[in-house]
Amino acid sequence: MAAHSDSGRTTEQIVSQFLSKALHAILAARIPYIHGPTPPPSRHPRKRDRWFHLALGDPPPALEHPSGLIPNGVMEPLVVDILLSPRDDPTMPEAIVERWVAQCEAPAPWSPLHSPAETSSNSFLVKRTYKKSIILLRSIYSVLRLLPAQRVFKMLCASNQSYNHDLTYRVSSFAEPFSRKEEAEFQYHCFAPVETQSGQLAVSVQYRPSLSQFNLEISSLLPPMLITDYVGSPAADPMRAFPSSPSERAGTRSSTSFPLRGSQHGQPSTSAPASAPVFFNRPHSWTGGPSEVPSNRAQHPNHPPTGSYRKPAFNFDEFKFSPPFYMSPTPSPPKFSGSYMQSPLRSETAPVSIPQSGSSKVKVLRSPNLSDPTRNFLPPPSPRSARTTDPSSQDSDSRSFRRPDGLRTSDGYSNMYGTPKGLKDGRDDSGRFSLSGSPRFTFSRSSSRISVPDDLDDPDFSYPFAVDDVDSSDSQARSNDGKEVSDFGHASSSHKSQDAAVGVLVHMLRTAAPLRDSTYSSQSSKSELQEEGLGSTSSFFMSRKASDALEELQSYKSIKEMLLSQSKGKLH
Amino acid sequence: MNCEVCELKELVVEQFEIREVLRCILHTIIFHRALGLVRPRDINCELFELTYVQCGVPEVEKEIEEKITEFISKISKHPNRRSHQVCLSFYETKDKQPAWFSSKTERVYWERWFINLQITNQRVNMKPNQTKVGFDPGEKLSSLEEKLHRTALETSVRENLFQIIKFVNEKMDHLPHIPPNAEGISYPYEITILSSSESSLDMLKRMLQTGHQTTLS
Repeated sequence: MAAHSDSGRTTEQIVSQFLSKALHAILAARIPYIHGPTPPPSRHPRKRDRWFHLALGDPPPALEHPSGLIPNGVMEPLVVDILLSPRDDPTMPEAIVERWVAQCEAPAPWSPLHSPAETSSNSFLVKRTYKKSIILLRSIYSVLRLLPAQRVFKMLCASNQSYNHDLTYRVSSFAEPFSRKEEAEFQYHCFAPVETQSGQLAVSVQYRPSLSQFNLEISSLLPPMLITDYVGSPAADPMRAFPSSPSERAGTRSSTSFPLRGSQHGQPSTSAPASAPVFFNRPHSWTGGPSEVPSNRAQHPNHPPTGSYRKPAFNFDEFKFSPPFYMSPTPSPPKFSGSYMQSPLRSETAPVSIPQSGSSKVKVLRSPNLSDPTRNFLPPPSPRSARTTDPSSQDSDSRSFRRPDGLRTSDGYSNMYGTPKGLKDGRDDSGRFSLSGSPRFTFSRSSSRISVPDDLDDPDFSYPFAVDDVDSSDSQARSNDGKEVSDFGHASSSHKSQDAAVGVLVHMLRTAAPLRDSTYSSQSSKSELQEEGLGSTSSFFMSRKASDALEELQSYKSIKEMLLSQSKGKLH
Repeated sequence: MNCEVCELKELVVEQFEIREVLRCILHTIIFHRALGLVRPRDINCELFELTYVQCGVPEVEKEIEEKITEFISKISKHPNRRSHQVCLSFYETKDKQPAWFSSKTERVYWERWFINLQITNQRVNMKPNQTKVGFDPGEKLSSLEEKLHRTALETSVRENLFQIIKFVNEKMDHLPHIPPNAEGISYPYEITILSSSESSLDMLKRMLQTGHQTTLS
């Protein structure tokens, strides 16, 4: 970019550019969304930015051709009225909150500038004029941020709510005088004039010291609008990837923030509420582009033909109730799963890590972090073993895996993927539930039981009966039949269809009469089962294959029948 | 060239408010004196309903933060003294006739800003919204007093900023020539923390005595 020389300007150029830039600064600091929904991108300063060494960015569309707004000739005043217009009540009049007047006043006849003969050092005068204009423009820029209307502007820009007032503007070359009463309501600030060869460049502002009389507040709900590019609900389409929101949510805005304005000067403010709100670029938002906003404006019947730019009225209801989105498209997965279920038993028992040593072939499935309830990924136990306090577990037909309260970190994620809904819909015996970012696993569900997923190769998976408080090493030590333990060394890989049988076995063992003496390990296990419920099955059963268990069951049944028949025979 | 001096109105601040107050004032002054090409940034004050403007030059921001930190550190070593001053000076570097054991360049100050602070109710390790019960019953501020103090301080800071704007608009003739195609800072400056016992008048006297003086025209 070629350097812009300061010396090649004329006084008229300076004044003309000054008025244009002052207008740009005023509108950018007072009119929300003056740049439209898309903020102008930050870029290297252009020639226009170099005027007065103040880079304000691209001017708003209304100022692209300022000849229509700035009066012809530099000698006519530029009057910019900033108005607070009631939105909900068109009958209420607009109120001027600020009036900026910038003009180049012709020099007085006695002024040394009046005589052309005094302009021998034109270059010096031009440079001095330009230097002072730079400072004057900086002052205007600063004062704009100190006046009361700045607060209103920040509110209208930063909030995603719709207020009952709008900030609009009116540019003219004639300042309609205020009445005496109105004049009394204003305060006046006048900047020191800058002497130019064309006269004195003077800027002043009349402003209301307080805007509390306008009762600026959030208006009623916005009228519904048709979303033309709606892309669906996350709950309906869980596999659809939704882009992350911009990071500039400032922590204080909901995801419904909708800036619809450009940066005033290419550099957003650093703290919220900012003058450069976030541009929310979700695919199912209604940001159709800058063109849509002006069309909305054109359709609005209450837009005055003064170049005012209203904040578009959009329906934020959907966003209001949308689930909290997590920025990462693949939220940090839990260690081994996507299950959000929590065993009710597990939540009450002390965390115990079941060691995997003792038998390298014993794949003990357990929760990797039992102390953290959010890390519990066991499917819910069978209904009989469920606690009474857990309504989901009491539902014998429940096939829904309800997310417990403790799993806060997964809230948005599960909501996105509709965990309860998806599973409730599955009435089959086998349902599939998969989560992105986590290993896929399936559930096999029968009418009343929950079985362990098939994919049990991951050692972190919890076996449904491997409940926390039973230490496998202790149970193995109590066991008198070490052979049985070793025989069931590969039990962890039981098939899904046999898991149900294991459950039945355990239940029968609980209710069956003891077949052996008290030293039998099952009794200790049984007592634990009685205490802890079904979920606290000893590891003795864990290590057995389901098929073996079934066979043993059959044998026990036969033995029992035989014994009973024998006892009956003896009695008779 | 005259050295224009501007004494800003004294501000009564609590220790935790010093940083934000100094940021407002120093950045506003520099924004009006960094006459090279800048891309201004609006900064919303953390403590007040106030927006000030930074010139957007990272080096300036860094230096101001360092100086403020230095100032806070110095005043904490003098808890008994309440009045403190920060001086922001703009100067030109000029060559002077070489002499034995003297530098060849000198700083010619053409503008000085004195920021006057009165530190009140120093609560060194206290967060802005905390009130330490039992610290000093005589000086414990109720919530209403705190609110009144904050409102008064905001008004005072705003007055200071308007005072700065008025000054920079009225006093322009003493400004040196802006370097062509200047970017950001156009004039060198320095921020000094006046010693506790030294006032602005003392500083000027010291300048006159040591030879770092401006020529009064």
